[in-house]
Amino acid sequence: MNRALTLGVDAGSRQVKLAIGAGREIAFTAMIDTVQFYLACRDGGSDSHNGGSDSRDGGSDSRNGGSDSRNHGPKSGGDLDIYRLAQLAGAPRWSHVVSTGYGRNNVAVAGGRAIPEIMAHAAGAVSQTGLSHFTLVDLGGQDTKVISVRDGMVDDFVMNDKCAAGSGRYLENIAATLGASLDTLGQCWENPVKLSNTCAIFGESEVVGLVSDGASAQSILAGANASVVARLAPMIRRYRPKIIVASGGVAKNMAVRKLLEIETGVEVITPAEPQLNGAIGCVLG
Amino acid sequence: MNKIGITTTIPAEIVFASGGAPVDLNNIFVTDIKRSEYVEQAEVEGFPRTICGWIKGMYSACLDHKIPKVIAVTGGDCSNTHVLMEIYRMRGVETVPFNYPYGRNRQSMQSELALLRDSLGASEEASERWRARLNRIRRKLDMVDLLTWRDGKVTGFENHLLLVSSSDFDGDPDGFEAKIDRFLEEARQRPEIDAPVRLGMIGIPPIMEGLHEFMEMTGAHCLYNEVARQFTMPFGGETLAEQYLAYTYPYQIGPRIDDIQTEIERRQIDGIVHYVQSFCHRQMEDLIFRERLDIPILTIEGDAPRAIDARTKIRLESFIRMLAQRKGAAV
Repeated sequence: MNRALTLGVDAGSRQVKLAIGAGREIAFTAMIDTVQFYLACRDGGSDSHNGGSDSRDGGSDSRNGGSDSRNHGPKSGGDLDIYRLAQLAGAPRWSHVVSTGYGRNNVAVAGGRAIPEIMAHAAGAVSQTGLSHFTLVDLGGQDTKVISVRDGMVDDFVMNDKCAAGSGRYLENIAATLGASLDTLGQCWENPVKLSNTCAIFGESEVVGLVSDGASAQSILAGANASVVARLAPMIRRYRPKIIVASGGVAKNMAVRKLLEIETGVEVITPAEPQLNGAIGCVLG
Repeated sequence: MNKIGITTTIPAEIVFASGGAPVDLNNIFVTDIKRSEYVEQAEVEGFPRTICGWIKGMYSACLDHKIPKVIAVTGGDCSNTHVLMEIYRMRGVETVPFNYPYGRNRQSMQSELALLRDSLGASEEASERWRARLNRIRRKLDMVDLLTWRDGKVTGFENHLLLVSSSDFDGDPDGFEAKIDRFLEEARQRPEIDAPVRLGMIGIPPIMEGLHEFMEMTGAHCLYNEVARQFTMPFGGETLAEQYLAYTYPYQIGPRIDDIQTEIERRQIDGIVHYVQSFCHRQMEDLIFRERLDIPILTIEGDAPRAIDARTKIRLESFIRMLAQRKGAAV
């Protein structure tokens, strides 16, 4: 790859996804726990290359600077310098940064351009699937987006409510309550029990009640998957999809995909890198 | 002049004719530095968390500003107002009901206006004289609106603030008129706002802060504030009854949709932002708008009087970017 490389950063609520490439060619990808990512970017004692001023999070550590390295800097002036971190991860050098995701409005990547998540995810899905007409369902850690894509462009979109109900975090919590792995969770779609509460917190107590009533772990996990799909289906139906593309961490869950197909009667396609879809979209963006 | 609180737009002409000065409780709540405290204070007194922030804010603001009398709209706005009236009375605030007749019937409207005149001690003649007086100001607000969408000289927030103030004319029609005159003179000299996306906003006035400003920062000019414009009584009318029957907000939704559709076309609007208030029955109107209006709609929800949150920003930004992309414009 001879062209200038772009680093795409999708700062999600659970994982920060990185992709480096040029156009549709992706040379490097990485995923880092979100909290670890921010901590690692903030650690270190050098001054930021872009010389920040008004630290919006009050945690600026640029004042203890001293080094003049362009590529070694902590978070400063509200901007996040990820050069140092990505270098640690062994990434190739890039010349542009495009970021998206939750952290984007709070923490801009130093020297980078920020684009809306909806745009990043749509671009990533168009690139990864080669499709131009589809309904994209991005199932993230704490939110869900349904995006109608027509002629390769965003036609309309809808996002879930303000809380994490029925999101990846909910599924994680239910699996953890039952001591099940995410792999096991992803296999459970048959004989779902009816779960009434998709709240990421209160859902746990409902599970405890079901266990005490004698429900099997598999049927409860299937119920959790089914409740995510039930919550999602009305958001999807408004676009009368012919093809659904599922991205985000939850798209790796086979049971959710299968239940989604049963619920909507529409084929569900998963791109090669569902979780990196937003970061890949940034590389294109 | 005696201050008389109002819970939404009512025939202000009758209040002025009675020698009173209307005070829109929404305005004194949301512009007060204590606006967040007002909501908390109402909750401490027992207002449920699941009741609209406007109601809670109006409650505390009325008591804090020592407004002795309130005209509460019991039909056509918000049914929470019924119980708000009861609580006001319990706290020693005098209340006067006003009802927009749902059937939009002339005779019913005339009797509602007569009841209000009787309650406040205003004559019909004086009320009609005040209609003519306020009409002069209302037509100047039409000019503010025209300078917004036709000439691009007025920001979405300025448009909202001035138009929404026509519920009470700041309690001081002369001062308000002078303020508009000064504004118009200044605004005409400005350069045109350069924004690739033309947005319209429908729904009740937003409780959150910075919404219009964020739209403009993101490359969109909000050149239509539906309900604020309706507060100005843009259709006029030969009598107060006609004027308040032409007002689209309190009645069945059909004429309101026709008005929105007309303005979308006239103002060449690319997309609509539908603002809804948490816990408000009007949230259900969203499904009607989505079915009846053939234009991209983004629905955003506000709860408390605070700066717009990251999620709202993400939605707005994506919506504006999407509309720009459709037009082949860059933002």
